[in-house]
Amino acid sequence: MYLEIITPEKLLFEGDITIIKLPGTLGYFEIMQNHESIISTLMQGKIKVKETNGIITYFEIKGGLVEVSNNEVKVLVESEDHTNI
Amino acid sequence: MANLKDIRTRIASVKSTQQVTSAMKMVSAAKLRKAQDAIIQMRPYADKLNEILSNVSGNLDSDVENKYAERKNKDRILIIAITSNRGLCGGFNSNVVRRTSELLSVTFKEQSKKSKVDVIAIGKKAVDGLKSKGIIVTNSYLDIYEKLSFASVSEIAQSVMDSYAQGTYDHVELVYNQFKNAAVQNLVNEQFLPVKINRTNGVKSRKGKMQSSYLFEPSKQEIVVNIIPQSLKIQFFKAILDSVAAEHGARMTAMHKATDNAFELIRELKLNYNKARQASITNEILEIVSGANAMKS
Repeated sequence: MYLEIITPEKLLFEGDITIIKLPGTLGYFEIMQNHESIISTLMQGKIKVKETNGIITYFEIKGGLVEVSNNEVKVLVESEDHTNI
Repeated sequence: MANLKDIRTRIASVKSTQQVTSAMKMVSAAKLRKAQDAIIQMRPYADKLNEILSNVSGNLDSDVENKYAERKNKDRILIIAITSNRGLCGGFNSNVVRRTSELLSVTFKEQSKKSKVDVIAIGKKAVDGLKSKGIIVTNSYLDIYEKLSFASVSEIAQSVMDSYAQGTYDHVELVYNQFKNAAVQNLVNEQFLPVKINRTNGVKSRKGKMQSSYLFEPSKQEIVVNIIPQSLKIQFFKAILDSVAAEHGARMTAMHKATDNAFELIRELKLNYNKARQASITNEILEIVSGANAMKS
């Protein structure tokens, strides 16, 4: 399953993953292969990503949005770190 | 004809000016690339957000209650003029100032008569320009360009949105230079609030057909209410980024022209210098020859 994590300033993550755990507005939830299409809002919290090669990465977010369709996960977030332009 | 030494010093000063302008042009070109990159980086986020927003709101049966929606009367207006902090970029800043005063005297004539129009200036040049035109600047943000980030820009956007939600303003207009390419900037004024949502009914594309099978969490309404502020902030951020890129583009063009003009000036001065030099040589020869003739006779 393909994942993209995007902030207004840059692309935080892109690649193939096996599982992602997200801080949904109604509580944490996980998305695995062949998840049904969903659009959900996200709360402040941590995103946990497990890549296909087993590496686990965490992202701190302030809030955001996730869209899943056809094994493609797109997460729009506002992250904590600031990049200068 | 000016004497030789004068022309020589002028040539030297024009040459050093040319060096400065061509260096500034190079710096602007580098900054422009960075600013363009920022716009490109933001685009996937903005596109996706707008796509979701228009799809979800297109799927809604009824209008969503939202505090940024249109109101009946358009009494209190806020104009946000976005310029740069620095000059030497052609008509970039003065165009914004002129458009702002045009908006005040033409478009929002009624409201400004009752002095119900406020102006917020972003960038030092907007403050200076508007003040010299006698326009009162309610609030100004001068240091956002130092450390430009989505967080700092969205703070400003949030405060504007809050005052709209509280009913302080009924209409917010942005005036800024839109970046087209390095040489062309489009001066635009754009409605920021009330929010405009493009509704697509989601059947025209392949992607559109799948929209109906989406699960929505918590609910469509809540998602829309959540996305709207975010999309407004993105719109604001985009305006700022556009303005930054346009500024560097404008400065690059202005400095390019200045360098060309300096080149032309040097050419003319050199011609004059050589003419003067030749004239003085001719004079000297004339003197020697006539002196020799006088000795002979």
